[in-house]
Amino acid sequence: MLDMLWLVPLLPLAGSAILMVTRGELSARTVAVIGAGSVGLSAVAALLVASGFLASDGDTVRSGIATWIASDRLVLRFGLHLDALSLVMILVITLVGFLIHLYSTAYMAGDEGFSRFFAYMNLFTAAMLVLVLADNLLLLYLGWEGVGLCSYLLIGFWYKDPANGYAARKAFVVTRAGDTAMLIGLLLLATSLGTLEIAELLERAESSWAVGSGIATAAAALLLAGAVGKSAQLPLQTWLPDAMAGPTPVSALIHAATMVTAGVYLIARTHTLFSLAPDVQLAVAVIGALTLLGAAFAALAQRDIKRILAYSTMSQIGYMFLALGVGAWSAAIFHFMTHAFFKALLFLAAGALILALHHEQDIFRMGGLRRRLPAVFWTFLIGAAALASVPLVTSGFYSKEQILAGAWAFDRGGALLGLAGLVAAFVTSVYIFRAVFIVFFGPQAGHGDAADVALVDGRGESTRGGRIALLLPLVALAMLSIVGGFVDAPASAFSDFMSTALPRAETAENETAAVMLEITAAIVSLAGIVVAYRLFFPHGGRVKAPAVRERAPWPAALDRLWASGWGFDRAYDALFVKPFVAIAAALRGDPVDDAYSGVAAGLRAAWRGAAESQTGELRWYAAGMLAGLVIVLAVALLL
Amino acid sequence: MTFTSAHLVALLPIVVLGGAAIVVLLLAAFSPSRRVTTGATAIALAATLATLPIAARVIPLDVSPLIRIDGAALLYTGLLVACTLGVLGLSTAYLKGLGESVGELCILLVTAALGAAVLSASSHFASLFLGIELVSVSLFALLAYARDEKPNLEASLKYVILSGVSSAFLLFGIALVYTELGTLEFARIAELVPLESASSVYIAGGLGFVIAGIAFKMSLVPFHLWTPDVYQGAPAPITAFLATVSKGAVFVVLLRYFMLADAYAYRPLIVALSLLAGASMLLGNVLALLQNNVKRILAYSSIAHIGYLLVAFIAGGAVAIESASYYLAAYLASSIGAFGVVAILSSGVEGETQTLREYRGLYWRRPWLAAVFSLMLLSLAGIPLTMGFVAKFYVVAASIDASLWVLLALVIVGSGIGLFYYLRVLVTLYLEPDDVTPDGARAAAAPSGHVVLAVASVAVIWLGIFPAQLIDVVRALAFTNG
Repeated sequence: MLDMLWLVPLLPLAGSAILMVTRGELSARTVAVIGAGSVGLSAVAALLVASGFLASDGDTVRSGIATWIASDRLVLRFGLHLDALSLVMILVITLVGFLIHLYSTAYMAGDEGFSRFFAYMNLFTAAMLVLVLADNLLLLYLGWEGVGLCSYLLIGFWYKDPANGYAARKAFVVTRAGDTAMLIGLLLLATSLGTLEIAELLERAESSWAVGSGIATAAAALLLAGAVGKSAQLPLQTWLPDAMAGPTPVSALIHAATMVTAGVYLIARTHTLFSLAPDVQLAVAVIGALTLLGAAFAALAQRDIKRILAYSTMSQIGYMFLALGVGAWSAAIFHFMTHAFFKALLFLAAGALILALHHEQDIFRMGGLRRRLPAVFWTFLIGAAALASVPLVTSGFYSKEQILAGAWAFDRGGALLGLAGLVAAFVTSVYIFRAVFIVFFGPQAGHGDAADVALVDGRGESTRGGRIALLLPLVALAMLSIVGGFVDAPASAFSDFMSTALPRAETAENETAAVMLEITAAIVSLAGIVVAYRLFFPHGGRVKAPAVRERAPWPAALDRLWASGWGFDRAYDALFVKPFVAIAAALRGDPVDDAYSGVAAGLRAAWRGAAESQTGELRWYAAGMLAGLVIVLAVALLL
Repeated sequence: MTFTSAHLVALLPIVVLGGAAIVVLLLAAFSPSRRVTTGATAIALAATLATLPIAARVIPLDVSPLIRIDGAALLYTGLLVACTLGVLGLSTAYLKGLGESVGELCILLVTAALGAAVLSASSHFASLFLGIELVSVSLFALLAYARDEKPNLEASLKYVILSGVSSAFLLFGIALVYTELGTLEFARIAELVPLESASSVYIAGGLGFVIAGIAFKMSLVPFHLWTPDVYQGAPAPITAFLATVSKGAVFVVLLRYFMLADAYAYRPLIVALSLLAGASMLLGNVLALLQNNVKRILAYSSIAHIGYLLVAFIAGGAVAIESASYYLAAYLASSIGAFGVVAILSSGVEGETQTLREYRGLYWRRPWLAAVFSLMLLSLAGIPLTMGFVAKFYVVAASIDASLWVLLALVIVGSGIGLFYYLRVLVTLYLEPDDVTPDGARAAAAPSGHVVLAVASVAVIWLGIFPAQLIDVVRALAFTNG
């Protein structure tokens, strides 16, 4: 069974290769079969591997097929590494990824780039699988950059609109800043420890570096910079809201199964390094806390349903960072899993909305869709409930509660971090139910021709296959969003399993305090829904978009600030983009060359001037001699 | 002072040259054959070269207060006489095309060579003046040799008048020095002028005048204005003589004066020469930059090269003599070669082959001449595997040795500019030939000119690759004067 591990990344890669080589020559049906089927088979392979792994005694599995680099001091293989952490990752990636692919066959039907879309999506999945399965950091980096490349290709998938190209470049360039730091980190590790094999590297680091030593701190900080870029955390978060330019399934894939979770995985995978650098680990927690708070507030002010979800992702990844920072490793991965379920669900449901409303994304132009699109309503509601971590019945509650418990138990400002998590949990409830109430309740907005999405496919024609392809993933993900939490609650099966790969979190000593925290979190979550109901439920009439804005000047200013994502875009524009563009503009004329052509022009002018002295007149020549004599005499006599 | 046989032996080169002048004069008067006259001249010059090893046995030796034969004197005499031999070879080829008689030219070349030999051995202001005038007066006639050509006459006239001015400077300067010291011997001047009294107006002024007079002969900026006009107007082989023997001889005597009279200790003179050298390097190269007349380009280039040569000279010390001597040899060989190509191409051509346009595509018509010209240009530009490179390397090394940073910077800047116009000419040689390009000097191809080019080329390459062969000779000879 475990021998099939290679198939997991190889199948999507092969699918991508076939679709690329055929260059859209295949029929749509064949493309759909190859595109979704390759990931589906990969998921089957992952499940078989998982059963094999569980049947064995849970030891780490490593396999290598070929040597990649063999130098005197560094040997790297194309090698895979399977333990509890990567097993969970590949299961989520392939299962959720398959559902998204399946959904895409209907969502993207009729698009002229249908084949290209699946080629990129498959490559995206394959790159992410390589990333999480790699047994050395360089192979991980290959997957890391592959993910970056695919995100560029997919965000700018509809490349004919320049805005999409801009969004794609932005995502690529901003994450690139983090990638560069990470590459430096890898080189630092390779030169100072002599290996990039992850297990070997962590062992050597532990034995040769002291806790808090400079080099450990530097290496961890550089890796953190890479993780922050890929996972859209402060201060490299600005690309994520713009990444919504891509087709909705792409957003689902980026946010749920791939890309943004890469940073979480990297930190979890190299947790030993972060344990050696407590300050950096604290920074991870602080970055997570700041991001989850800031993004939650920003989500509160968005009008575009996809941007709401984008900020929500940022915020939820912030929770995972917080968990990593406080050492609640298993909680971070647990939340990654539940988040993958409900965030994929939310995006796919939102995609169905958007499709039904002919690419309308502004929530204030929706309304009353509860009755028109019941399937979408119910699945979206389940996703929203999980995101808001409604107690007991949703998976989000269990994973988030673990994170909050871990934060409270943390001994360096844990209370503050936990408080941030609680406040953000409240805001999360408010913003997601704001969307639910505005979109699905109240009178119907002017979309008379909005058909029941369950009955249409992308071309507006009802096909049985299209309906199943759209609905099946929604239902499956809704189920997972509900039951996904029970893998670790009430029995701690998941954390026990994770503890084979990651250290166990410190459990709260005080049993009653833990229960109190659980109750508080539940109250906060429900309170958020109540507040959202009070503020945004369309009692009688429709909610006006600027309702908050007209009331008083300060909420208006705050609203603008949040709507712009705390103004980071404008700040970065002024700090980096504008100066860069200005420098580029200044260099456009090759001013360095001017220096050389200036020399040439100067000499030319000097020649012209000097040539004037050659008059051919004898008396002038004699005068020149006299001048020379005067100079020589002056020097001889006066010096 | 008694005149022994040793003195006669030491004086042999000068004696042979003097006798040769008379013999050639008689032959030119009574023998109608060009071949006999030129042959005799060549043999006389070769004989002079042959006497050098004989004279080397008795050096160093003072022959009268005027002449001091030492290793350096013999070395420079050899170089300059060899150059004269080269010019003779080019002249016979050139005049054959022109149809002029050759006898007078032979006489004048021998007398000029005699002047150069005297300058090489001079240790006295009187012999210095005599030598300079011997060279100059011979040149007056040589410059106007093709007396039907208007440019020749113009060149000669300009040179005569300005040369007269410079001779006046020289004489007046010598007179001032004599007024103060009562002697004209270089060595005595060194004894009589303690450093403190060097600030005497007579001596400072006198030496200033002398420098000015010599600067004219070496065409240093700002005494250079005549150079391009005269170079352009003169018959090409005579231009070669002007650029090589005339300049070289004056440089040699300057070097001797500084060595014998210990003038290096006299700062103002060094400062004045540094100024002239710097200005020459800069202005000489700039003036050549976009010039379209090949003879004028070479004229300006020679101004710059004397600037480089002076840098080695100013550096002083043992390295300076070594580097200046090597540089002089490199400059002489490259210049003879470059002007030689011009002379052969101009032989029998109305108004000579001078403009750059006429050299376009030369390689496709006269590959041998184009190759030689390229080699000489590369050597003048200081490209490796030629004498010019080693020479320039020497200059740079000497100036670093003496910490002459400003002059070194000017050497580098000048070489950079120089590279441009040398390559500009070089590229022109290999361009597609222009249909309207006049085919210069198809007829005249006297073998003597080609022999000279071959010898110069071999020297430039051989001594560029194995410079030690020349350096060893320089070291052996230049330091025998103790």
